Parts: sequence; C-alpha cells; structure tokens
Amino acid sequence: MAKLNVNGVVREFEAEAETPLLWVLREQLGLTGTKFGCGIAACGACTVHIDGVPTRSCVRPLSSIGANEKITTIEGLSPNGSHPVQKAWVALDVPQCGYCQSGQVMAAAALLKGNPNPSDADIDLAMSNICRCGTYNRIRAAIHAVARGDLKAAQLSIQHADGSTT
Amino acid sequence: MKRRTWLLGTTAGAGALLVGWSALPQRSRIGLASMMTPGEGDFALNGWIKILPEGGVVLAMPRSEMGQGVHTALPQLAAEELDVPLSAVHIEQAGWDAIYGNVAMLYGYLPFHPREEEREDGFGRVKAGRWMVGKVGRELGINATGGSSSVADAWEVIRLAAATARASLLGAASLRWKLPAEDLEVVDGVVSHPSGRRAGYGELARVAAATPPGAVELKDRRKWRVIGRPAPRLDLPPKVNGQARFGIDVRLPGMRYAALRLAPTLGGSPGRIDAAAALAMPGVERVVVLPAYAGTSAGFAVVAASYWQAQQAAQAVQVEWRAGPQSGLSSAGIARTLEDAVRSREGFTFYTEGDVDRVPEGSRTLQAWYHAPYLAHATLEPMNATARVDGDRVEVWAPTQVPQPCREAAARVAGVPVGRVELHVTFLGGGFGRRLEVDYVAQAVRVAMDLPGVAVQLIWPREEDTTHDFYRPMHVARLRATLDAKGHPVALQVRSAGDAIAPRWMERALPAFAGPVDLPDKTGSEGLFDQPYAFANQRIQHVFTRSGVPVGFWRSVGHSHNCFFIESFIDEIAAELKQDPLALRRSLLRDSPRHLAVLDLAAERSGWGSRPLPAGRARGIALHESFGSVVAQVVEVSLQGPAPRVHRVVCAIDCGTVVNPQIVAQQMEGAVVFGLTAALYGRIDIRQGAVQQRNFPDYPMLRMGSAPHVETYIVPSERSPGGVGEPGVPPVAPALAGALFALTGQRHRALPLSDLS
Repeated sequence: MAKLNVNGVVREFEAEAETPLLWVLREQLGLTGTKFGCGIAACGACTVHIDGVPTRSCVRPLSSIGANEKITTIEGLSPNGSHPVQKAWVALDVPQCGYCQSGQVMAAAALLKGNPNPSDADIDLAMSNICRCGTYNRIRAAIHAVARGDLKAAQLSIQHADGSTT
Repeated sequence: MKRRTWLLGTTAGAGALLVGWSALPQRSRIGLASMMTPGEGDFALNGWIKILPEGGVVLAMPRSEMGQGVHTALPQLAAEELDVPLSAVHIEQAGWDAIYGNVAMLYGYLPFHPREEEREDGFGRVKAGRWMVGKVGRELGINATGGSSSVADAWEVIRLAAATARASLLGAASLRWKLPAEDLEVVDGVVSHPSGRRAGYGELARVAAATPPGAVELKDRRKWRVIGRPAPRLDLPPKVNGQARFGIDVRLPGMRYAALRLAPTLGGSPGRIDAAAALAMPGVERVVVLPAYAGTSAGFAVVAASYWQAQQAAQAVQVEWRAGPQSGLSSAGIARTLEDAVRSREGFTFYTEGDVDRVPEGSRTLQAWYHAPYLAHATLEPMNATARVDGDRVEVWAPTQVPQPCREAAARVAGVPVGRVELHVTFLGGGFGRRLEVDYVAQAVRVAMDLPGVAVQLIWPREEDTTHDFYRPMHVARLRATLDAKGHPVALQVRSAGDAIAPRWMERALPAFAGPVDLPDKTGSEGLFDQPYAFANQRIQHVFTRSGVPVGFWRSVGHSHNCFFIESFIDEIAAELKQDPLALRRSLLRDSPRHLAVLDLAAERSGWGSRPLPAGRARGIALHESFGSVVAQVVEVSLQGPAPRVHRVVCAIDCGTVVNPQIVAQQMEGAVVFGLTAALYGRIDIRQGAVQQRNFPDYPMLRMGSAPHVETYIVPSERSPGGVGEPGVPPVAPALAGALFALTGQRHRALPLSDLS
C-alpha cells in the first residue's frame, strides 16, 4: 500500500513505485482534473502543487514523494471554485476548451502565492504551460487582476484538512 | 428556412419575420417533441426545447464544445426568443434525428464565387446548388461541428424553435385565463397579465405541449437583450475547478486502460509480434492487434489496469513492423511533385474572369512561388475514446466533432446495426478538425470487443498523436500578376497544387457517401479563387494531387495557406509598385465596402501610417474572408537574433450579426496564437514514410513569453451570422511576413518563419 497526502487527506492505494503521480491522481484517486498532455513535462497540463511548489506530475514518480509532502490538485485548490485565481479566470473568460486550464490555474496560484504582484516578465517565466487555444492574453490579464486585489482577504493560501496551509 | 418565411409589411412591424405554422411541412427542422429524451416532469414542445417543472429550459445540443463557445452561443439564441435568463437554459446532447444535422457546414463547401452569387439573376447554379445541398443535407442530417458553421446553422432554427415554444406557452396561459395572448407578457420565464395573473413556464408546459403555437414571430433585433451581449460562458465554472469531463476523464466501473503503438511508417502494419515480456508486466491483460481503421495506420494496443502500465508494456512489445506503400514518402519529394504539377498540369479552374492571356503593351509580369508545409493539429487532449461492447450493444464515450460518423464507425467495427450503438459526446480538449476523424473511436471499439462487458479507455500517447495525425496538406502555389504600363494590376493568375481533403475525409468518415471519383474540392483553392481584390482578368486553378500522406481539415483549412500566398503576393505587388501595402489594398477593394471597412478599422486602430514604431519594429497587414466573415490583422514585429518576435496584433472582424462579442474576442485571440504558432514553428517533415516530429519539444507551440498582445475590434453588422472559430487564423502569417519584409527587406515565401538566419 502506498500513501499520499492529497488535498489534505491521506489516501492509500496500490501502485508500482515508478508510477508517475499523474496516473495515481487520475486513476486510483479519481481526481481527473489534472490532465495528461505530453508525458514528458513539456506542456504543463499535469501541474499540481507539492508543498506549494508547482510540479509536473507526469514525470514525478511515486517513489520520490514522501508521505509528509502535501499534494494539492485543482480539486483541492478551493472547496467551491472560490480561489481568487479561479474567480478571476471565470470573470475574465479565460478558458476556451479548458483542457490546459487546471494546470494554468495551479501554475498561476503558485506564482501569486510567492510573488503577489508579478511583472509581465515574472509571468512569462512562471507561466510556461502550453495553451493550444491561445488564451495567454487573458491568463496574463487574470493574473494581474488577482494581483490588484487584496490578496490577504482573498486567501491565496490553501487550507488543508489538518489545519495547515501551503 | 428562407422559402418558408416572408417579410411582413409595415403593418406588423418592419423587419419582423412571421412564420405561418400551417405552412411548415411535417419535416421541418423544428422537429417534434418526441425527438427529445423525456425527463421526469419535463415537457418537450418541439425537437429543440423542453420545459422543466421549475420553469428552466433544456435545449437539444447537437454541436460539440471544443473551446469555441457554442454551448453558450446556442443557448443565447434560445434564451432570447423564450425571454428567459441565459442561466435558465440547460443543454442536453441532441438525438440522431436529421433535424440536428448541420446544413450550413455543407453550404460552406460549395465552390461558388461570392460575386457569382451576388450577380445571379433568378434560379442559377448557385441557388440550384444550395437548394440541392440543403435538401440532401436536411435528409442526411450530419450533426457535425466544423466549418465555423454552428451559429450560422442554428441561427434560424433555434430561434424559431424557441419562439414557437414561447408561443405555445403563451397560448397555454391564454387558454387557462381565457385572456387574449396579445395582452400577455413574459419576463424571465414568467407569463403575466396586467390583471395580476402570473404563471411560470413550468406550470404552463403540460398544456403548452398540446397547444398549437399559432403565428410565430421572431423578435425584432432592436428588442434583443441576450443576443449581441457579452454573456459569461456557461462552461467556464467546471473548467476552473477540475470538474469538466473531457473524453479522457470518463470513469466507469471496472474500466481498463489501453495504450497504442501504430506503425512508425505511414500505412505500415505490425508483422510478427512478441508480446510475452509485455504480458508478464504488472496489470497487463492483453495485446490487441489493430487494423488500419479509417485512414490511420495499423498497430496494436495493450490493455492494462492502469494507463501507465499499458504504456510501459506497449514499449516492451517486440514488433517487426512492415512498411506500407507510403514508406518511400518524403516531404521534400512531395514538394517537388507539387511544383512539377503546377508547371505541367492545368488542374481544375475554380474561377476565371476576363482574359489573362491578353497582355497590354508595356505591361510587366510579376511571378512568385509559395510553399506551405504539412501541419499537425496537436490538440492538447490526445486522441482517446472509451468503449464497452456487450453482445450486440455498443456504448461509446468520445470527444468528437462528428458524433454520427463515430457511431456508424463503431457499428461497422462491432458488426452491429447503428441503432445498437449509444454514443456520448464529452467536452473536447481541442478539436481544430482532428476530431472530425473517426479512427480513434473505431480502435477503441475494436479493443473493447476483446473484453466483453468491460469498458476500455484507449488513449494515444502524444508521440502517436503527432506522428499519426491527418495533416494539413502541403501546398505549393505559383502566383503571377500583370501590371500595365501605368502600374495598375490588371491580371492575376494562380495555379496551386496539393491534396484534396474532402473526398479523402468522406472515405474515412462517411464511406457510404464517398464517390468513385473526386469532385473538385473547394478546400484546395478557397481563399484564392474567391479572393476579393479587383483584378479585371483572373484565372485561378488548382491541381489536385494524391501524395499518400493522410490529410485532413485543419482550423481554417485551405484558407490557412492560401491566405498566406495571396496576401503575401499582394504585398509583393505593392513593393514592386512602390506603394504602401494598405494603399494598394484599398485601391483594389474600392468596390468591396465590407472588406474596406474591416481593413480600415484594423489599420486605424493599429496606428498604420499615423503612429510610427520605435526603431527595430515594423508592421504588416493582411485581410481575408473565410467562413462568411472578413478579418484584417496588423502585426507588429521585431527580431530577437534570427527569430521574429511578434508584440502586438490588432484584429478587426466583420462576422455579421454578433451573438456574443466576448466569445468573438476570445476566438480572435486564440486564432492569432494558433496561426502564429504555425507561421513561426509549424512544420511536419516526413522521411521514408515516417513523420519526424514527435512531441512538443520538436513540434513547438507559442507560450506565454512568446504570445503577442491581441486586440479585437468588431465591425457592427446586421447580416446573418458568419463564422468566428476559424476566420482569425489565416491573416496572421502573411501579416507577419509583410512586417518582416518591412523590417528587413527580405521576402519570405515559405513557412515557417522561426529562423531567418
């Protein structure tokens, strides 16, 4: 039995040690919001947070993740789509097909957590995920919109079930 | 619909459309209530509209949502005519009746010149062609999503279905209260009378289902409250919280996963397979050999408990691949074949006007050759489908643009009548034309047949998706202009060459309708034969080739490369005449007010000729009409080393009546990135029958740091709606090439343009 702390809950499941986190999330744990795009960490559709760090889960083997490391997926970013990045994404009509957007939202949430007022250059650097529909303009605008808001009140931190935040 | 509608005179309100219910034949596209799936307590009022007990509306949805916003735009049409808020409209997948077929998409592929249509007096070949295609299209009822046609197709039928439903609901209230329907009004789905009587649609639906609508009037556009407004997209909340279900997210009890490997050479097949090592790996259940379905290559799939296990095992299978007839193909060789075809064959003449061979004294000729490469679609959601075969029952879940051809393909593979196939359409993680194909559905059904009663989800690895696409065909064109002694462009000759798409697609997706010979396929010459510039003499020809490479529809199809050819060549004429590219275009469009307005808007907003750019930056401009819409773009570029960097794209569009301006802007922004990705990086190379590019590192995409700022301006219009998903793609490549010429003096006639060293 392998164990992972996902979205504040310790989950047990069966999988080989070299299985990438992506497939455990999508198959064993039923968290299909995290997407498969390329399998080689090139597109970012599989981005999740591990202890707050944006991570491409399609190349991250289970064996490299400790039981105490906290994984957050798009499903755990907020209980009801209320994370400021999610709200900004809807308010600014960011998604088109939407397939890459879980990864984009996770990448943006991590960027803003570490850098509440990112410059365009910061955004260029941090937001390296591919969007085949080409929603980059709106992603940039939405990140700036979040930055202009009151981040403290907006609660960018992610609350885990055990009371800790990442 | 046109022949069943007529304009009322001033007595009934100018511009109002009235439809006599009794005049509608039985098989109108509004359909019958029985065509919708009944739900608890709801009442269908026709084939498109159901009323829920609490008053909400269900709209039958025959179009796939792949990012273009159709699951918002079509509900807007229904909300408008029913007088309900957009949030009250829910959608459910439409059934298989012919009323849900996309007739506008078929109209779009008729190879008629727009001027011929305007000039036609009486019942000429354009009207005859449209009539015939409309009639056949309504009978066939192909419920496809493509050709930027969804809103154009739904424009009349959904508004009419909604207005008809509203009339029945008002009729029901009128019967219940014994008050004239004319005295009733509807606000947010509640019918009321000045006397104070009120009833919601939910209370009236039962009676309305049996109440004839009487005369049905569509709303005058001046009364619109939903159409033309930037309503928030209905599909966005689930797309930011991980709940949206794409094909790859289907989860069924006991489901297995399958990974596939297809022959590395196009058209190849597996010979001897040694799967012993793969079958011994954890979770692996079986290996299924896949024949070459629906135009793709043959190969095999490995089924396992998890996709990772299946993928690892697929790599462990030892295969002796057999090369197919296409194993000698190379893109360089095909380019030479296309050039030879242009030199040695006349091809099909799509348009002729005047006499291009009459060369006035003192005139000169300008000639140039242009090249466009093969391109892959690279939808971010790789090809996938889920199937379960149980006896003669087949159930399929697929992210598809063509549910009905998929259903038929599933039936053919499983050997069951089509009525035994249930097909669920999911969200599509991008389509761009790739999901007009049925190959991946056929494969999923074949794999599932080996595991009776077990659901199997087949997912293509990215590398298979890139190496086994149906590519945008390679095209070559020779353009020739005659400039008279005074420097007026008087003649245009174009001869292009490239594979036909439509007949090959018919063979794959609709084999029952594929013909024994290829009819001239408009996609080869679209954007060239119907180009808008006033040359008094024109001859536009296309030579159809058969390269053997699987080719398909790629967002904006023939326009995607033909616009690059013609617009770049217009720039070349301007340079030859030492004219400003905008000024030359304006003079050649003096009789095309619609195009001129779009061009002028883009030029003005970009600062063309009025706001100089800093040193090291330059602008380029291009204009193109496609899918019923006209788009102009101005690109600002600089060079970073040998690589172009696009900073800003100003986009103007006339897409007729706008249903949702926010979606129009989204589509323009996305189309610019899609077109620029192709213009800067896009190329698929084939060597010895094998596609060389495999994943995003060697088939790169524009990313945040390389994406330009895009501004969209919409020309107000009262024409019926044109397309929006594709028309923004074509102009960006020639506008970029024009900007590079302005910057460097170098003319680039072959795509892509990523490395100019």
